[in-house]
Amino acid sequence: MDPEQVDEFVMGYLKKKGFNSAAKHLQESLHNNNGSTFSSIDYHNDPELNKLIRSFSQSENDPSRYREGYSKLRSWGYNSLDLYKHELVRVMYPVFIHCYMDLVGKGHTQEARSFFNSFRKDHEMVHLRDLQKLGGVLAPSHLQEMEFARSLRQSKINIKICQYSYDLLLQYLHRTESTLMLGIINEHINFQVYSGQPNSASDDIEAVTIVGSFHETADHVNQKEIHWGLLEDSLEDRLEKTGGLLSDSEKGQGESKAGDMDDSKKRSAEIGKQGSSIKKLKKDKAGTATTKVARQETSTVLSSMPRVKPELAMPVMSADVEESILEDLRNRVQLSSIAMPSVSFYTFVNTHNGLNSSSISHDGSLVAGGFSDSSIKVWDMAKIGQAGSCALQDENNQTVGLNGRRNYTLLVGHSGPVYSATFSPPGDYVLSSSADTTIRLWSTKLNANLVCYKGHNHTVWDAQFSPFGHYFASCSHDRTARIWSMDRMQPLRMMAGHLSDVDCVQWHPNCNYIATGSSDKTVRLWDVQTGECVRIFIGHRSMVLSLAMSPDGRYMASGDEDGTIMMWDLSTARCITPLMGHNSCVWTLSYSGEGSLLASGSADCTVKLWDVSSSTKLTKAEEKNGNSNRLRSLRTFPTKSTPVHALRFSRRNLLFAAGAISKPSS
Amino acid sequence: MGIVPKETIEVTAQSIGITNLSPEAALMLAPDVEYRVREIMQEAIKCMRHSKRTTLTASDVDGALNLRSLEPSYGFASGGPFRFRKAIGHQDLFYTDDREVDFKDVIESPLPKAPLDAGVVCHWLAIEGVQPAIPENATLEVIRAPADNKIYEHKDGPLIDVRLPVKHVLSRELQLYFQKIAELTVSKSSPALFKKALVSLASDSGLHPLVPYFTNFIADEVSRGLNDFLLLFNLMHVVRSLLQNPHIHIEPYLHQLMPSIVTCLVSRKLGNRFADNHWELRDFTANLVSLICKRFGNTCITLQSRLTKTLVNAFLDPKKALTQHYGAIQGLSALGHTVVRLLILSNLEPYLSLLEPELDAEKQKNQMKSYEAWRVYGALLRAAGLCIHDRLKVFPNLPSPSPSFLHKGKGKIINAEPRKRKLSADSSENQPPHKRLITTDGPDVLRPQDRTGPAPMHVDKPIGNYNLPQNSAQPSSSEQASDGESRNGKEKERGKSRAISMKAILGQIWKDDLDSGRLLVKLQQLYGDRILPFIPSTEMSVFL
Repeated sequence: MDPEQVDEFVMGYLKKKGFNSAAKHLQESLHNNNGSTFSSIDYHNDPELNKLIRSFSQSENDPSRYREGYSKLRSWGYNSLDLYKHELVRVMYPVFIHCYMDLVGKGHTQEARSFFNSFRKDHEMVHLRDLQKLGGVLAPSHLQEMEFARSLRQSKINIKICQYSYDLLLQYLHRTESTLMLGIINEHINFQVYSGQPNSASDDIEAVTIVGSFHETADHVNQKEIHWGLLEDSLEDRLEKTGGLLSDSEKGQGESKAGDMDDSKKRSAEIGKQGSSIKKLKKDKAGTATTKVARQETSTVLSSMPRVKPELAMPVMSADVEESILEDLRNRVQLSSIAMPSVSFYTFVNTHNGLNSSSISHDGSLVAGGFSDSSIKVWDMAKIGQAGSCALQDENNQTVGLNGRRNYTLLVGHSGPVYSATFSPPGDYVLSSSADTTIRLWSTKLNANLVCYKGHNHTVWDAQFSPFGHYFASCSHDRTARIWSMDRMQPLRMMAGHLSDVDCVQWHPNCNYIATGSSDKTVRLWDVQTGECVRIFIGHRSMVLSLAMSPDGRYMASGDEDGTIMMWDLSTARCITPLMGHNSCVWTLSYSGEGSLLASGSADCTVKLWDVSSSTKLTKAEEKNGNSNRLRSLRTFPTKSTPVHALRFSRRNLLFAAGAISKPSS
Repeated sequence: MGIVPKETIEVTAQSIGITNLSPEAALMLAPDVEYRVREIMQEAIKCMRHSKRTTLTASDVDGALNLRSLEPSYGFASGGPFRFRKAIGHQDLFYTDDREVDFKDVIESPLPKAPLDAGVVCHWLAIEGVQPAIPENATLEVIRAPADNKIYEHKDGPLIDVRLPVKHVLSRELQLYFQKIAELTVSKSSPALFKKALVSLASDSGLHPLVPYFTNFIADEVSRGLNDFLLLFNLMHVVRSLLQNPHIHIEPYLHQLMPSIVTCLVSRKLGNRFADNHWELRDFTANLVSLICKRFGNTCITLQSRLTKTLVNAFLDPKKALTQHYGAIQGLSALGHTVVRLLILSNLEPYLSLLEPELDAEKQKNQMKSYEAWRVYGALLRAAGLCIHDRLKVFPNLPSPSPSFLHKGKGKIINAEPRKRKLSADSSENQPPHKRLITTDGPDVLRPQDRTGPAPMHVDKPIGNYNLPQNSAQPSSSEQASDGESRNGKEKERGKSRAISMKAILGQIWKDDLDSGRLLVKLQQLYGDRILPFIPSTEMSVFL
């Protein structure tokens, strides 16, 4: 190349870039030296540099280059060998969003929009939510303002890719001289190259989730040690110690007499018809030998589990309560894939679209609803059940109840929509959280508000009692989760780290951890004592709406907006299997008492039961066999156009469900 | 460009009083507005999710504005989702249907009913993993393939298509229910209980799994029990109840039910020819047929055409028995007046000429036969009459006579009944009410002046007090029939002569609709003035 030509290019480049003083200097020195000093550098013989300079001078600001470059890369990626295709295609998404953001950043709004619309179809299946968010970004200022875009810009995306695919990609980029694409890939993607064959396409769930700078921290965080074992000296332990005696005498009269007496006591708390079914279930249990075996197995499994010490000071349980819980545990029906639970459904009627949340007490006798008109209503199903059988028949009278009085307790105090209302384990308190940023504690005995906890800065989405009461956790739009105790006005701990709203919270059975699900599509596990994040679970593709912990403390289930349920192993932070089946929001999840079944309730008006017992036993064999789909859907119970808002397995393994009937829109 | 065009910004600016907004500013603002709107909608979706809903409402948007510490948008409070209307001529422009309300109307209107208070009802969704078939639960799918089946196929790939036989499990309760209903239908011993059973069949949910069994049962029993009149009648009642049940999806089984139903309509022999009133059964079944065609005619396109073909074949085959003809005519007339006009009226003349000898008492010595012939004649008359009635009802612009005048005429009605018309009317229990007044026994002598009187003009008005029990008019004895018949012959002659004079007037009146006018004239020729009661009062009043 001619040296003068080079000088011209450089000059043009400097002027275009606005480096006027530099251009002036260059001009001066060109005049002075007449090109002699520059020619000493051997740049015009270096073809690489040559090209680079040429490309710079050509079309630095031309927005169409992005479209060209990307569409070329795309067609190359999609036409590559099937073996490597999925790895190469994985690269497309980050390139796509960064091309778009580059275009927006440079102010080419129109081009950015047309670029976005022509290629968004490729990524919609996996990244729909993100694309919806990004679609609104139209001005450079939005990029600065929007947290999601900012975190994308600032952090690199990790992509695992095998050596060969990586080489292919680099070769392509060099061959086609697409410096622009190369630049984007270098800037925003962090390749983790491994040798050997490419991974199969199915297990790339991790690879597609892009959450800012998460991966590094997530990997780091997930190294931490956690103790998922149950508490020492828990009621289950005590039951097992005494259980030896009881299981022998089970066949004898002792059990049936005591059971019946207790049943009659119990029945006053539960509904009339439930009692009979429990009896029936019990007969079955005594009759079949298989369930016996199952019980022994589970008990051995339980006793072999590690035990941990509580890190919080635990509340003392009164003897009565303890006795009744023990009694319930003793009378628990063993559930498995062949022994299904009975489901009692509480349908809210005439809610006029105002029911935001509902929950059921542990014995199923109380039902609470949080309404958008700031009120909380608590129904005592035992009372309704007594007067009930006749009231059920004529629907108009039923809502009015006896003597024209309403048949529920109205709790008024909040000044915003109530987004959660939950019962303490013995059922004597209700905890509610609301858009007025407060959490309130109500007594079901006094029907009055006891405490108002202020601390959150925004709407409190969820509040949950710990398994032993006294402590509770809350989560909010202000992106924090907080731990409280009933006797203090101020929170004890604050958990910050989620990148978006914290939507749901759940306690670990040993009370040392809480799990939070968020709109940033992750679930986190926090140590209650230190307030540190100890696990990050990445894999959901949309907002996490519900959480449940297995009774043995080893597994966690989380449900999201799209209807996917994920089973997580707490110790490895790995997803065991996604449970697919629902096609709308999973509002609620619940494990059966011994952890063999998982129940899920969804906006698609079904309750599904999943067999999760096999996975917990056979994990080792499974690992050898590869990831076979062990967890399966056992039953689907469709409701009559009633989305399922809440589920609760009672201690005796009767499943309670609640939901508000919605008139089909015709 | 974006969703928000700059024109929108300009219009909005004008509406809030900014007149000097430069186009550049609007252009800059447009994307920002879109971004903000998206932001708020995103938050609104969060609020919607936390309210456990899947439809976005105005309150969710208010909640989102609240989260952003913005003033909520007032005036959009609504319990449910909005109803949007599409703007004509635009593909994706919608607006809310917001009517203007007059304050006066609001204030003067009575207080609306207080909304019902929230409540909780409890039911069993499942008992030990099995869903009970109670009204509170969703209706079960009829056939549910085992869940494992699909997984199996999935794993083995498309090469091996493993299909386990589909299990159809009936609960014990349903089995018992079916047995009981079948027993009641066959035994005929307790009509009261059977009636209750029919009500249950027509209203209970959860019966769907039994439908295939019922269709089978009905088909079997109909083919077996053609001689058993009561059984057939019971079976048809069962069919009607099944059709009425809103929880049953009967469409897939219609093709199995139809043969049995058509059998009960056009079979040669239904029960005992002399002792049983098989006419009633045929009429009942004809009603069923019309019910089915009305409900499923749109979804099963071939249904009506196939049915009409069968019936027309029966109607036009001279070898078939008169009873079969009767059933076919009743069936066709139940299908509506277009079918009648196209298929019956076009064939009316040749058919009547065939029927003539049967009707004549002198030629037809067998009294039973002639009775049947008169039955058929009555059915034809009724079909034609209803058809013309429907045709004529279309003209509303004729002056209607004062009701008082009509009432004056009422007194004559009973007497004015043409004796012979009884035959056509007495069997039809499901006819429009006006027909009922005809069913009384008229005096033996017909008064000619009543013919032109306003007597038959009450066709549009149900007159309860003349609704005498039909049984009294039931001329099941053949002697009565033949008695009237001899008179009929004479009457007909007289009627014909009168008809000629009327023809001119009729033609003039309905010359604007030549078709129906001609039709009427033709019918007039064929039937004489027996057709007159079918002509609506308003039209008839022109005579007066």
